[in-house]
Amino acid sequence: MKHVANIAGRELRSLFVSPVAYGVLSLFSVLAGTFFILNVAWFNDMLIRMQQFQAFDQLARMNLNDQLIGEFYGSMSVVLLFLIPGITMGLFASEKSNGTDELLLTSPLTAWDIVLGKLLGGGLFVAILVGIVGLFPGLLFFYGDPELGRTLTGLLGLLLVGWVYVAIGAFASSVTRSQIIAFLISLVMLLVVLLLPAVADLGVATGAPWIGEFFRYLSANAHFEQLMHGLVETGDLAYFAVMIVTFALLTKASVESSRWR
Amino acid sequence: MIEARELTKRYGDTVAVDGVDFSVQKGEVVGFLGPNAAGKTTTMRMLTGFIPPTNGTATIADYDIFENPLEARRRIGYLPETPPLYPEMTVSSYLAFIARIKDIPRRARREHIDRAVERCGLTSVRRRVIGTLSKGFRQRVGLAQAIVHEPPVLILDEPTVGLDPLQIHEIRSLIRDLAAPGKGDTQQTVILSTHILAEVEAICRRVILINQGRKVVDAPIEDLTRNGQSLEELFVRETASDAVAKREASDGGAREATP
Ligand SMILES: Nc1ncnc2c1ncn2[C@@H]1O[C@H](COP(=O)(O)OP(=O)(O)O)[C@@H](O)[C@H]1O
Ligand SMILES: [Mg+2]
Repeated sequence: MKHVANIAGRELRSLFVSPVAYGVLSLFSVLAGTFFILNVAWFNDMLIRMQQFQAFDQLARMNLNDQLIGEFYGSMSVVLLFLIPGITMGLFASEKSNGTDELLLTSPLTAWDIVLGKLLGGGLFVAILVGIVGLFPGLLFFYGDPELGRTLTGLLGLLLVGWVYVAIGAFASSVTRSQIIAFLISLVMLLVVLLLPAVADLGVATGAPWIGEFFRYLSANAHFEQLMHGLVETGDLAYFAVMIVTFALLTKASVESSRWR
Repeated sequence: MIEARELTKRYGDTVAVDGVDFSVQKGEVVGFLGPNAAGKTTTMRMLTGFIPPTNGTATIADYDIFENPLEARRRIGYLPETPPLYPEMTVSSYLAFIARIKDIPRRARREHIDRAVERCGLTSVRRRVIGTLSKGFRQRVGLAQAIVHEPPVLILDEPTVGLDPLQIHEIRSLIRDLAAPGKGDTQQTVILSTHILAEVEAICRRVILINQGRKVVDAPIEDLTRNGQSLEELFVRETASDAVAKREASDGGAREATP
């Protein structure tokens, strides 16, 4: 596994010499800024209205963490859901269409070197995106007093959600040689993960509560919310680990099986 | 250096490579000759570990490709049919990446890269982005990639395809140099595929001719041309369809029974 860093480094360097990375970064910054401003405006609006209606007990429950930062992180997780398939679509598919898979698979590398290197490359790029997200709540510390702990654990949650998306996107990229197909497969898979809570509710309605519980566990959102509330629990962290490891294993199997076609 | 034993590859009903045996000694330059779709690329892909054989195995420098895949691969330089290039990288950053993944020790990397660049005539384009290079230069970058770790075994799949005559000449003399190096350079064993007869005559001492997945000739060139026949006559005779039919009638009976 000594070559993981080499694979990840090449991936990132290729990303940053192409205009795609900068396009994604600018687009993402603009979206983050827009969502942040919208959230701040909405928050102010609520405060003013509650004062007008003298709804003091509701006013007391408004806080920067839940009603502003949490909403903002939630919006950004949806942005990541649409953006990450675009980042991960090339991870394996472009190697296959370039013919460079023949280079990697005939070099003294293990399948884990390749898979973990790709995941690390994609994961670091997403970490940059999450870092950009983190700048905005940072501004609030100059004007208000949000809780630092929850602001950071929420950001950690966003990062972990992003990494799950990267693992899913990497798997999608490993099963095809077409980047567009990889994009579509991962988008569909991510939408399924996003919509699992709705499926879970259906499960409850049909009178099989354990199915509901199971789907709820598989959805990233519930675990993400726990972290946004400042609750760092092993159960939630284990969820992210299980998802990432599962898709890493699937991707490894897919990379190895491509030799066997 | 290279031992292929009963190498076989089936794709569904088609047998791309059918029980190919051969062995190549250190320092030999062997031409792997055959018409299109004979199974040359498939054989090379099995030797390099890109695809596993359906049957049979091979050893590279005494390392079995199944039992010791990393050791075997470490000793191979491979130029696939299409050079495996990252178009967005520069020549030097590409070769630096190759040097790393081929396990060249950190201290020796610079020197190895400089030598490969010089040998392949890439000095003038070191800083260029690969995607902007001409086909001839890209083929040379592919070759530099194959030799940068100075592997004892070189496997080159149609190394001169699509090049102009001058480029072909340069690549051929480079390959000759690799097998008969000056002092201090490691001697390399080369197996190169081609369907150009002149190429074999220009650089190889020995020919392995395959047709429809089977080895049909394996001999030094001088033995083959001793009685005055040309390689071309041999090639046509061995790969013509009635020759195939005749061979199948005489020795193919047993093989035909198990498709
Ligand atoms: N991935 C594959 N799937 C199915 N058939 C293949 C595949 N690769 C090669 N073949 C078949 O195997 C035969 C040998 O191909 P190849 O080794 O590329 O020949 P050559 O390199 O000598 O031109 C051809 O008939 C080809 O169609
Ligand atoms: Mg071929």
